[in-house]
Amino acid sequence: MGRQQTRQKRALPWLAVLTTVLLGALVLCGLCSLVYQVALRDRQKAQGGNEVTLRIAYSPDKEVLFQELVKRFNNSKARSQNGKRIVVVASAVEPELMLTAATQGEFDALCPDSSIWLAQLEFDWQESHGSESSIVGDTTRFAVSPIVIAMWADTARSMGYPDKAIGWMDLLNLARGNPDFRWSHPSTSSASGLLATLATFYAGAGKTRGLTVDDVTKQSTLDYVAALEKTVRYYGEGERAVIQQVAEKGRSYLDAFVVQEQLLIQYNRGHSDKLVAIYPVEGATWADHPLVFLERAEVTADVRDAYHRFCDLLLSPEAQALVLSSGYRPTDLSIPLDSVASPIKLALGVDPSQPKTTLQIPGPTVIQVVRDVWQYAKRKANVYLVADVSGSMQGKKLEQAREAFLTFLDMIKGDQESVGLVVFSSSEVLAEPLAELGQNRARLKAQIESLSAGGDTALLDAVNLAYERLQQVGDKERINAIVVMTDGRENNSSIRLKDLTSKMRRENQSGVSVVVFCVAYGDDAEIDTLEQLSSVTGGQTRRGSTATIQELYKLLSTYF
Amino acid sequence: MNRTRLVFVIVLLLATAVVAASVLVRRAGGVGPLIDQPQDIEVRVVCALPVEPFVQDAAKQFNAEKHKLENQVIHVTVEPMDGLTAMGRYERGEMSPFPTVWIPDSRYLVELVNATFKEQRGRDIFLTGGEYRSRPIAVSLFSWGIYSSRAAVLRTKYGEIDWRAIHDAAIAKGGWPELGGSADWGYFKLVVPNPRRNVGGLAAMVAAAGEYYGRTDISVSDVTNPQFQQWLKELMGAVTDFSSLGSYSVENLALFGYSMGDGGQLLESDLLINMAGILNRWQDPLAIVYPKYVTWFDFPYTVWMGDETSAVEKNAALEFERFLLLPEVQKRAVQLGLRPANTEVPVTEPNSLFVQWESQGAMTVVPRTTMMRSPDREVLLALLRWFDLNVTER
Repeated sequence: MGRQQTRQKRALPWLAVLTTVLLGALVLCGLCSLVYQVALRDRQKAQGGNEVTLRIAYSPDKEVLFQELVKRFNNSKARSQNGKRIVVVASAVEPELMLTAATQGEFDALCPDSSIWLAQLEFDWQESHGSESSIVGDTTRFAVSPIVIAMWADTARSMGYPDKAIGWMDLLNLARGNPDFRWSHPSTSSASGLLATLATFYAGAGKTRGLTVDDVTKQSTLDYVAALEKTVRYYGEGERAVIQQVAEKGRSYLDAFVVQEQLLIQYNRGHSDKLVAIYPVEGATWADHPLVFLERAEVTADVRDAYHRFCDLLLSPEAQALVLSSGYRPTDLSIPLDSVASPIKLALGVDPSQPKTTLQIPGPTVIQVVRDVWQYAKRKANVYLVADVSGSMQGKKLEQAREAFLTFLDMIKGDQESVGLVVFSSSEVLAEPLAELGQNRARLKAQIESLSAGGDTALLDAVNLAYERLQQVGDKERINAIVVMTDGRENNSSIRLKDLTSKMRRENQSGVSVVVFCVAYGDDAEIDTLEQLSSVTGGQTRRGSTATIQELYKLLSTYF
Repeated sequence: MNRTRLVFVIVLLLATAVVAASVLVRRAGGVGPLIDQPQDIEVRVVCALPVEPFVQDAAKQFNAEKHKLENQVIHVTVEPMDGLTAMGRYERGEMSPFPTVWIPDSRYLVELVNATFKEQRGRDIFLTGGEYRSRPIAVSLFSWGIYSSRAAVLRTKYGEIDWRAIHDAAIAKGGWPELGGSADWGYFKLVVPNPRRNVGGLAAMVAAAGEYYGRTDISVSDVTNPQFQQWLKELMGAVTDFSSLGSYSVENLALFGYSMGDGGQLLESDLLINMAGILNRWQDPLAIVYPKYVTWFDFPYTVWMGDETSAVEKNAALEFERFLLLPEVQKRAVQLGLRPANTEVPVTEPNSLFVQWESQGAMTVVPRTTMMRSPDREVLLALLRWFDLNVTER
């Protein structure tokens, strides 16, 4: 017992010393760790954080594929050579708007639908910077798709498909000779719309290559294009929207339209009534979806590295397999298009050995003239804007709606387009009669800026007023349309919905065909009523909010 | 607890504390220690597009092997850039920082840039003699690559395929049916890279001028001759698209097939490397035909001798050059369709692309010996000006 106590007494000072040493070591480790973390944070801050963001704008036609690829990349937690985590942020932007955004530094890379935009981008950049330096940097292509004329199989067969090679001229002659034939191409703000427009200018000039500014501006070419464009039902914001409408409405919507092969494949996969791809004998062209790095002075090595890492993913076997299964042609040429799993096959309306020839793409100056001249040669429109100014629109709602109407007017460049304005609350008021924008643009703007809210909702009477006005004008040469917006429920009209839709159905046959586009603004809008109004006229109903209303009106303007 | 046990427990606890601290450190970011290790020697190589895959592969291997100089690891980065674009950047002062090494497509680009800097600095910044002289890392030449179905029709119509035959095909108003081909082939479509983006486009135009005049030395008065310009304009009228990616013309030929181009005079290595893909995608291989006057690209490895790079960087650059010329590395160049700079390496191995595509016209030894002379700066500028005025804005 005594010996044990003595041993314990001897051990105690040792224990105390060693415990102190141990605690000291632990505290030291803790301090070291703390100092290290602080230093690390400072270093990362000096290097611009621990994350690098690659901002990409892509064309909306490939939204599903591109977002999936971005998701896969971000999930891979890729890091740059400096150890920074790479995050790709991708936004869908129309190619035309992409060019402006690119020169303003909003994106690090672009992925438009076609390389055709790159020459324009370079041209704009060099003009604005007065230098020979190039903004178009490294470019990677991961998916391509020919732009084709999509046509219902039986319609195509009636034109001689598949034995006879069909071309733009056949389509254009059919459209000119048959008033019931409905075809459409997007506006020139997408590659497919631009191609279709170029094809009509080539046909008008009687050429298949070497299109010049003189050819484009020759009166005989303009007359030909104008006559042809009159056969277009209406334009639209892009191929994806057209294919969605075709999916909803079937063959009653259109007989033929210009679209990328991949969208046609996607449609045919889910429908028994098949479309076939016509590869125009005069020449198709390609949507080649280039991913372009933008060379600007402020580009960092990390962002450049992030771009290359993302490209590596796009070209990986897994991504290329996804590209093919999505209906695109992969850029990895070792992947066969004629395998059993490939969707590029006749059963889905497309031919992997096509196209055999392409249309010659002119230089940027000719393309710009084509786009400008098209604004004048295209089918003109008579459009009534019908706007809800009832009490529920007070405040931010009306403020945003005003901006949206003004944007709509700004987007319609041609002064020969006619626009009128009907507003409604407890009753309908013809605020500005239909007239060419060259005459009433300023008055319309002033009317829109002075809009104020109050009263009930006489929606149907307002639509009826605009409809009757368009029937009175009776201009069949033009696209006739009503763009109506409401945030509430119909509660004060003298005409009933059933009567109005019957009238529209009847008079659209006997008089001019008027299309109604509806915007259900906010959650309280009576969507059923709006859908009936649009569907009976072959139009569309879209939902909008204070955040999206401006963009929505911008999109709607592309239909005219 | 006796003292031994106590000491053991304390040592164990201390070890645990050290491990815990190191785990903490790792979780804080997994990066290196705060005290910086000796820096790597960075060798930045700006490299012509046709040899970029070869140089990039070699750089990866070189970096993985951690080659050292003066006890520092050499790290090579490769930046692809067309030779003409790089020349423009050097001359406009936009090459910042200066790359340690420039591998342009052809030696004459080095001479042009050197002449510019010699005026400014009073001395050569790229050397032609001594240890740091420019040396080729691989070579390739321009040859016709034409879809076999189309080449057969052209041979029947014209006999030999040359620039004159191509010109006549280009101006055929009736397109392929007039030449004896199928109606759905459209008109004859020539592939020429955009000379503003790809030096290969300029080489093609110089080669066309050579055959037009029947000689290898082209002057400014030749390219400004109105008859020649008219002939060249008709030829260029058969190019489908100069607006898009001119830097990737063989890639275009492969990816878009005969729809975008029936053929063109392009770099042999680019043609060979794409042959299998073209056959797989379009079921119509390319026929390779060597022209009367041969244009070679020699891809010179050129070390920047200005004060912007240190002596150790210059020597590190030489280390990488030696590596590129090793026989086993040069074999990789052959696999990519390039002809090796190291003469010990044959192109006649059974798996070589030259042997594999002999049936399509590829040759291990090119019998033509008449070489186009490198154009001088004024000829290049005159051709580019003509191109801007007559083709880009057509």
